[in-house]
Amino acid sequence: MSATFWVWFGIAVYIAAGLGIALMARRRLGVGVSEFFLANRRVGGFISALSYSATTYSAFMMVGLVGLTYFTGVGALGFELTYLCGMFMMVFFLPRFWLVGKKYGYVSPMELLSDRYQNKGVGATTAILALVFLVPYGAVQLMGVGYLMNGISGGAIPVVAGIIIAVVCAIAWSSIAGLRSVAWTDSFQALIMIVTSAVVLGVVVAALGGFGSFFSKLEAASPGLLTVPTAGGAWNINMFIGLALPWLFFLISNPQVSQRLFIPKSVTAMKQMLGGFLIFGFIYTLISVLWGFSATLLVPGLENADLATPKLLSLTMIPTGLAIVVMIGITAAAISTIDSILLTLSSVWARDIHKGLINPKVSERGELRVGQWVIPIMAVIAFVFAWWAAGKTGLNFMIAPLSAAASAGLLMAVPTIFGAFFWKRATALGAMVSCITGAIVVLIFQITGFRPLGWWPGTWGFIVCAVLFVGVSLSTRPPKEKAEEFIGYLRGALKKGNFI
Amino acid sequence: MTKSAWAWVWFAFLLALDIAIPWYVLTSVEKVSGAFLFWTIWAAAAIISAFIILLKWRGVEE
Repeated sequence: MSATFWVWFGIAVYIAAGLGIALMARRRLGVGVSEFFLANRRVGGFISALSYSATTYSAFMMVGLVGLTYFTGVGALGFELTYLCGMFMMVFFLPRFWLVGKKYGYVSPMELLSDRYQNKGVGATTAILALVFLVPYGAVQLMGVGYLMNGISGGAIPVVAGIIIAVVCAIAWSSIAGLRSVAWTDSFQALIMIVTSAVVLGVVVAALGGFGSFFSKLEAASPGLLTVPTAGGAWNINMFIGLALPWLFFLISNPQVSQRLFIPKSVTAMKQMLGGFLIFGFIYTLISVLWGFSATLLVPGLENADLATPKLLSLTMIPTGLAIVVMIGITAAAISTIDSILLTLSSVWARDIHKGLINPKVSERGELRVGQWVIPIMAVIAFVFAWWAAGKTGLNFMIAPLSAAASAGLLMAVPTIFGAFFWKRATALGAMVSCITGAIVVLIFQITGFRPLGWWPGTWGFIVCAVLFVGVSLSTRPPKEKAEEFIGYLRGALKKGNFI
Repeated sequence: MTKSAWAWVWFAFLLALDIAIPWYVLTSVEKVSGAFLFWTIWAAAAIISAFIILLKWRGVEE
């Protein structure tokens, strides 16, 4: 039977397994908004860690990062590990989010900001930021699945068919039982992702004569890819900062991951979540980058670097069955990210825009219904964007830069989040003005390609945003009472748990 | 300085190394033992530091 048949067969098995897990999760689904969007804050450490890993790591890694390494070399490793180093900030933010989430019952990070700044406009502004910038990020996941299925089937499966499969699965996983189905399917998918990618790396490295021989061949064939800036001119410091800055603060700027900081059921679960993720992330990053380097040796000269993974998996040294299982693993990585994005966007719309601004008296049931409607709508928007972007070529339309561009917009919420936890003088007007202006700067610079001093849009946006946040806050009145109460509560609770 | 302040300083130091070493010290080392090895060890150091802190957390409700 043909490879295309086996690809379809693999997809069918994956969908059936995912659907089974999601339906099992549904049996434990309770009632209410907190139950649907946060699994009632009762998720154990193991599931939290795997779900956080699967949500964070996406098609971006095994398609985008592999392509970026293939195209630009070792700077891609530094860029991705800078994100992981940024996770050090979890030692500050994880306990803070978790503690205030439990105390005040926040469902979304935006609700936290609205309450802390005593202004629903802050939640709505950051919610709109998320809605605008998470769409391209979600679309990137879909593109990854499309490229992969197309590549492995030798073109028999069109890119758009892969995109449609990913959209349908993401809608199903997130709608069936909310965070419960997302977390359970995420965990299943995270295990597939790491195991299959490690096995392929083993096969490829063995075929290249072991790690020693692999590295010697790499140094001989592409020495320019092993330093920064690379011989081809990529990874000058401006490019590195432009791409890495949004990644550094990804843990708080991206609501689909920061919302996860509310879900661990205990401090032990929180420790397992962070520890488990750090180990997973380190291994998975190294595997992805080594895939990229092995592709430079085995499939040189590709015009579209995002095709490095599909081409690598099409090599005869990779058994067809293994290639298909890996394709499923990468598809799982993409879908586990986009379903989390859809779920978060639906909670953000329902809680921070619908309830926060449009209809404050809506019942909990009505709020939930609105959220559930948003899931397919956002999925369709992401689908249209992915379809459009998949037809383009060039660095700006590669998966990794496109992901970083989306995160550059989300970066504008970072000063507001820092202010909420660390600065009593921070104000709602400072938060809103900085987010809106910063996002406009990012969008204009991104669309026009304007880069004064060679600095990237995210870098400029962040500078403008931080300056405005401080300046406007200092010239307006802070919500003094709430700030004292919020930060005062945290001070005591952090001390009690030996957090820092 | 508080423990929290020390942790922020350590984090800032790690970020300074992230730029300084690959671009200014290892920029002419076109080998796996250059930037590749540095970033691997550097990230491991960041992870270990996070573990040192999180292992001291204790249950506030347990």
